[in-house]
Amino acid sequence: MTASLIVPPPIVPPRHATCPTPLTLARAGLDSCVHCGFCLQACPTYLALADENDSPRGRLVLMRAVVEGTVALDDPDVATHLSRCLGCRGCESACPSGVPYGHLLEKARETLAALRPLPVQARVILWAFARPALLRVALWFGRMARDSGIAAELARLPGALGFPFAMLASTVRDATPAWTPRTTPTRARVATLDGCVMEGLFTEVNRATERVLCENGYDLCRTPGQQCCGALHVHAGDAATARRLAKANIVAFEAVDAEYIAVNSAGCGAMMKDYGHLLADEPEWRHRAAALSARVRDASELLADAGPRVGAPLARRITYDAPCHLEHAQRITTPPLQLLAAIPSLEHVPLTDREQCCGSAGIFNLIEPDVSQRVLGAKLEQIAATGAPVVATGNPGCLMHIGAGLLLAGSGATARHPIELLDESYARRER
Amino acid sequence: MTLADTLRAIVGETHVLVRPAELIVYESDGLPGYHRRPSLAVFPADADEALRVVRALAAEGVSFVPRGAGTGLSGGALADGTVLLGLQRMRKILEIDPVRRVARVEPGVVNVSLTKAAAPFSLHYAPDPSSQTACTLGGNLAENAGGPHCLKYGVTLNHVVGAVVALPDGEVVTLGDPHGTGDAAGYDLLGAFVGSEGCFGVALELTVKLTPNPERVVTLLADFTSINDAAETVSAIIAAGVLPAALEMMDQATIGAVESSIYAAGYPTDAAAILLVEVDGAAAGLDDDVQAVDRLCRAHGARDVRIATEPAARAKLWQGRKKAFGAMGRLAPHLVVQDAVVPRTKLTALLAQIAEIGGRHRVRVCNVFHAGDGNLHPNIAYDAGDADESARVHLAMKEIMQACIDAGGTITGEHGVGLDKLAYMDSLFTADTLDAMCRLRDVFDPERRANPGKVVPVRFCREQRPHKSAG
Repeated sequence: MTASLIVPPPIVPPRHATCPTPLTLARAGLDSCVHCGFCLQACPTYLALADENDSPRGRLVLMRAVVEGTVALDDPDVATHLSRCLGCRGCESACPSGVPYGHLLEKARETLAALRPLPVQARVILWAFARPALLRVALWFGRMARDSGIAAELARLPGALGFPFAMLASTVRDATPAWTPRTTPTRARVATLDGCVMEGLFTEVNRATERVLCENGYDLCRTPGQQCCGALHVHAGDAATARRLAKANIVAFEAVDAEYIAVNSAGCGAMMKDYGHLLADEPEWRHRAAALSARVRDASELLADAGPRVGAPLARRITYDAPCHLEHAQRITTPPLQLLAAIPSLEHVPLTDREQCCGSAGIFNLIEPDVSQRVLGAKLEQIAATGAPVVATGNPGCLMHIGAGLLLAGSGATARHPIELLDESYARRER
Repeated sequence: MTLADTLRAIVGETHVLVRPAELIVYESDGLPGYHRRPSLAVFPADADEALRVVRALAAEGVSFVPRGAGTGLSGGALADGTVLLGLQRMRKILEIDPVRRVARVEPGVVNVSLTKAAAPFSLHYAPDPSSQTACTLGGNLAENAGGPHCLKYGVTLNHVVGAVVALPDGEVVTLGDPHGTGDAAGYDLLGAFVGSEGCFGVALELTVKLTPNPERVVTLLADFTSINDAAETVSAIIAAGVLPAALEMMDQATIGAVESSIYAAGYPTDAAAILLVEVDGAAAGLDDDVQAVDRLCRAHGARDVRIATEPAARAKLWQGRKKAFGAMGRLAPHLVVQDAVVPRTKLTALLAQIAEIGGRHRVRVCNVFHAGDGNLHPNIAYDAGDADESARVHLAMKEIMQACIDAGGTITGEHGVGLDKLAYMDSLFTADTLDAMCRLRDVFDPERRANPGKVVPVRFCREQRPHKSAG
């Protein structure tokens, strides 16, 4: 691999003036919007900014205007409002007409990316995530900064400067108590997705996931050669890189004999379940992609299917925030709650608007910090109202974003993956 | 200083839109067949800013159109080259008084938000348009919005007790009795304002009634193999002396669209029509009503009657009904939605006539409507890119509306006249009546700057006589 550490060039997909854009090819999806407006109140950016240009219905109007040529493709207002979308897909859960909003947004961003390069920090991040060796080094530095306490110090920098360090600092975990799963495997064989940020910064959560899956009877195996899932890339409009990464993962997971691929990161799971769509136009990959997607499960789905086994009491008040790419993209609502219900004495206080995005949205919080912080503000208020010292959510982006918000607000509350709580509950049985 | 600068000084830089790419989003409301681009859009944050905006517009003599969430279905909130006054930022619930059972709200509060906020007091806001998860109370006031439960509880008019209104000349008046202590003396000016479709001014604040939640609620789903049988059952239920909280009908095409959406409610897709009947009230005696409805449905040919009492099961049945309009987007790229009222006893004949008109013009009419009120909503999904189909759709709609008028009905039950029904006004009213409407408007907006060109065709307003003195 030839990885140089200078700032990468903008991603510029081939541009052919006469070719239809990815968005024009997705036109049928735009046509299914009947303009009823039921999506408005499901949209965090509309609630924060109160302008329909920043709502799903408004963005669909802008996309349609671009397709029809009434607004120029390079119009700065179109770019502003489309890049302000979190891509949370909360609107899809409200849409009676089934508008494939998430796919349309990806196609629109892919089309715009041809004309308007992403901000430089976004390009650096996407470039690094597509290079596993480099990313491992970067995440090692991240862990060093976190564990030495430097990240917590730098988190005090004002505003958008300090926030990424607060995100990093929020990933710190106490040493996990050692315990050994008790059961012999009786259920399906499962491969796990390591995940870039999960393995790099939430290493303990990955180990906890493995223990908890084992405890519930799954037979785990490792998968060499896996890479970033490509979600960050496709959401930012870099579909070409996403397809390359998807193919690498298809090859890697085809080589393991496992019925399911367990994913404990909602964003990665949603992406991998969508590989069939991502590669639909490539005949030699289409079926392989769809077959891989069909094997992908969120870890909470597998645990819910298994029962899951009841742990030792954990007398703690918690609340649960639904990751958008679990709740809306994967339509998984109850399995994480079933998992938490397997912990005796755990008091679950329902979070108002738990289905609303926290503002993390992949790298959105780094490239649109203002909107992201407004959306986070509403979430932190709701979390505070529950009085719970722990908010459970199953996605690294949400864990770090909410975690950083709680850290900077000095609330003392922390964000934890639901599986961490179940793992702790199982560990306590040993005492 | 331009008008835009003046308005920016009031509401802030980011809440005034002037560039075409941003205004295009405000070209349509919930009826996307109409496109009218505003010259400018301005979004005040509170009553004070809204009033200053209205006064700035008055000083310049500029026309404006108030808009809530843009969920209206008559093109009523479109600004054709004029200023769009968006009230969506004014979304504070100012007060809930559980003792007097009233709430004071800003006009941009979303209908269902008020019901959610009142829930801890076992109260709710009764008018429940199908768009209640999106539409605003200010918009409900302007349109005199209805909804399924208006059969028993009444429409918006029956639930608004007072409004603080900015008249288009910038004067602030209080209409009705916002203290809720009794009826205001004199003519009912609030009654005139409710349903004025934004032509009389802008509500800055509303005081509305909150209704106690019924002790018990039961929802029945009756499944018919003939649309005729379903329609006859509607009249039979009312004739038997039962007053359901809601009495809704959906035909097979509509059921199909809903059942393929995320709001699938478990409706039988092979039924020709279903009735959704809700009875509520004191627990004692409610079972008699449930049994009466069940018996009447079966006596009129219902194949099955399902009874739901659990809140989750009932909510599921209602979600399907309320999102039906949105689900029509699954059938074809474009949609025309109609809203007409006929005497309930003529429902059966009208439905047959609508089917005949649809068949003759080769268009697919989907019916989903407030049957208990005789309030029909024939919808036709089609492709506007197909000129021949578009022409047939519009011809069919025109004939359907005429059939409703001929049956002694009217052209809107709850969606308003707006732009869409303008053409039908002179077939329904005499020139004298239309002129009287214009003169009523002159009381509130003599310069006719609020929502110009809507409701009454301009040619029927004989002459403008804003300040004519007596004698």
